[in-house]
Amino acid sequence: MKLSHLIEKTYRWAQKRSLWVLHYNTGGCNGCDIEILDLLTPRYDIERLGIVVKASPRHADVLLVTGPVTLQAQAGLEQIFAQMPSPKWVVAVGSCSTTGAVFYGSDTVLGGVDRKLPVDLYIPGCPVRPEGIIKGLLQLQERITHGK
Amino acid sequence: MNKISIPIGPHHPLLKEPLSMNIEITGEKVLGGSLRLGYVHRGIEKMATQRTYVQDVHLIERICGICSHIHTTTFCNAVETLLGIEVPPRGLYIRALMCELERVHSHLLWLGILAKHVGLDTVFMHAWHDRELVLDIMEGISGGRVSHAANQIGGVRFDISDKQAEMINVNLVKLKQQVSGVLDVIENEPALQARTQGVAPVSAELIKDYCVVGPVARASGVDVDMRRDDPWSPYDKLDVKVITRPEGDAWARTLIRVLETRESLRLCKILVEDMPDGPVSVWASRKVPEGEVVTRSEAPRGEVVYYVRSDGSDKPARLKVRTPTLPVLSLLPVQLSAIHVADIPVVLAGIDLCVACADR
Amino acid sequence: MVNELNLETIIEKIQTETGCDCEAYPNITNDETILIPADQLQMVMAVLRDQFGIYHLSTITAQERDIEADQSAIELIYHFFYLNQPGDGRGISLMVRLPLDKPNIASIISHLPGADFYEREVAEMFGVSFTGREATPKLLLPDEWEHGPPFISSEVSDE
Repeated sequence: MKLSHLIEKTYRWAQKRSLWVLHYNTGGCNGCDIEILDLLTPRYDIERLGIVVKASPRHADVLLVTGPVTLQAQAGLEQIFAQMPSPKWVVAVGSCSTTGAVFYGSDTVLGGVDRKLPVDLYIPGCPVRPEGIIKGLLQLQERITHGK
Repeated sequence: MNKISIPIGPHHPLLKEPLSMNIEITGEKVLGGSLRLGYVHRGIEKMATQRTYVQDVHLIERICGICSHIHTTTFCNAVETLLGIEVPPRGLYIRALMCELERVHSHLLWLGILAKHVGLDTVFMHAWHDRELVLDIMEGISGGRVSHAANQIGGVRFDISDKQAEMINVNLVKLKQQVSGVLDVIENEPALQARTQGVAPVSAELIKDYCVVGPVARASGVDVDMRRDDPWSPYDKLDVKVITRPEGDAWARTLIRVLETRESLRLCKILVEDMPDGPVSVWASRKVPEGEVVTRSEAPRGEVVYYVRSDGSDKPARLKVRTPTLPVLSLLPVQLSAIHVADIPVVLAGIDLCVACADR
Repeated sequence: MVNELNLETIIEKIQTETGCDCEAYPNITNDETILIPADQLQMVMAVLRDQFGIYHLSTITAQERDIEADQSAIELIYHFFYLNQPGDGRGISLMVRLPLDKPNIASIISHLPGADFYEREVAEMFGVSFTGREATPKLLLPDEWEHGPPFISSEVSDE
């Protein structure tokens, strides 16, 4: 195996094993948010997968977005994404951030994160079960193994 | 010393939801603050008039994920009054059971967040771990952990079998045992008392001026609880103990919710034991006759008011929702004056924010 | 304070104290409603508070309603809640009607600071102008909202 290939493989292995996530709520009902917070608790314990929930965009690799992106919250979303250092991924958690779900068509809602940011993974659900979020993040890890 | 303005939000580790605050401080003292809501405004009231009543039940459940059931309950109560139909007693008992379970889950959630803000991370883990038992019960009977779709116009969507009732009883006993541990710690923990006693006291006059409701009002001695004062069946048969404290500080607001959790667990047990037999729902017509109605309920955070006006079609002509967090938020700038910077998380946690409810 | 409150007693007292022309509006279930002229709102609220101890404002509902054929008005309903005694809570509402072309009404926040958020929401959603207070900044609508009041304006955004 060539050395550069080995280095890249190791780099991707390290990357997928310690994803630091940032959670941003763009106007959701809180259902998906409390299921994301549930991942920190003993029953689901996402830290055993190397995933830590951080508070600062500068520390984060993955942006977990919930909510249908209200007009008022969209500026904050853009700024947070801009502050995250590359490589970075965006995961739309919940039906609201995927398509706008039940709020689609409202005058004050954009409807879906992909109207603002490039999304790497969609996890539909209303709200998403914690097992669903874990499955989604594991799929993201798989993607990273194969170079996005 | 100079006055400095600290912006908090819309994205901030202290906040689960987007909310923008500008807090003015000088040195370590907080002088006051101002709020900007609207980050979670989805235009639900307007959307409700463009959808049918049946579709609105699904929409209204998503005003807030934490207190979803009480919103649909109050809405269904309003529409059933306009339709002139009566939900069978068993259906009402199941509705009330889900309401009380939701209250327990909401208070345990609040407890975890408070503990996290104050620095007691272990309590956060224990409280949310115990909360999983409540979610298990709710999932066992309705199929959903957070959003249950329990209500439909005319009653509830599912019945509780004997096996499920046994499961609920077993889990309630387990929950009571586990939760007692955490609640005893909170009631007797000197570090928490030192952190919260005397912080941001609110007088009963201020509560009345700002029309505050819920545990925040009861923590300042205002004796009002919609379960006792504007009850829908079966609350009129249950002897709901309304807990008030006179101090009005952050400690009182903490203690009230702890005691309310215990009271709700007691009510859950009674609701399961005394549940009458019979059907759980009645047929309801899609078109609602002309009329207007106001209904009130006690959500985990306080009084929820719904005004529904019907024009005889299958879509409401007007839906107005007032959630309990809105008046509490109007009191926040007053609470923020005359505290220290280190007390800001304690004050924010004590009011149990639910911005999704406030913004709709 | 009167222990046993009923609508007739309240209306009679309001008419004696303020001389205003008020009548019962019977159509709202669960809330006794009194229709009053818009300029008498503060005085009637003072009667409710001082004579009957009714001070808790639940919310202010605003809606556009057809009063008669070809005549619409903006209706504001001030929902109050009081306890006859613990366990016996009642709702009582004050209803005012404002003309669509000039929806002005005096603000009540000097008497009841808790009405601030409710007034701001009614102002931005229905274009009602509250006099006697500072301008009503936006509460819920986004900063960049360019269309008129969402519940009145016929402009629909394309998003």
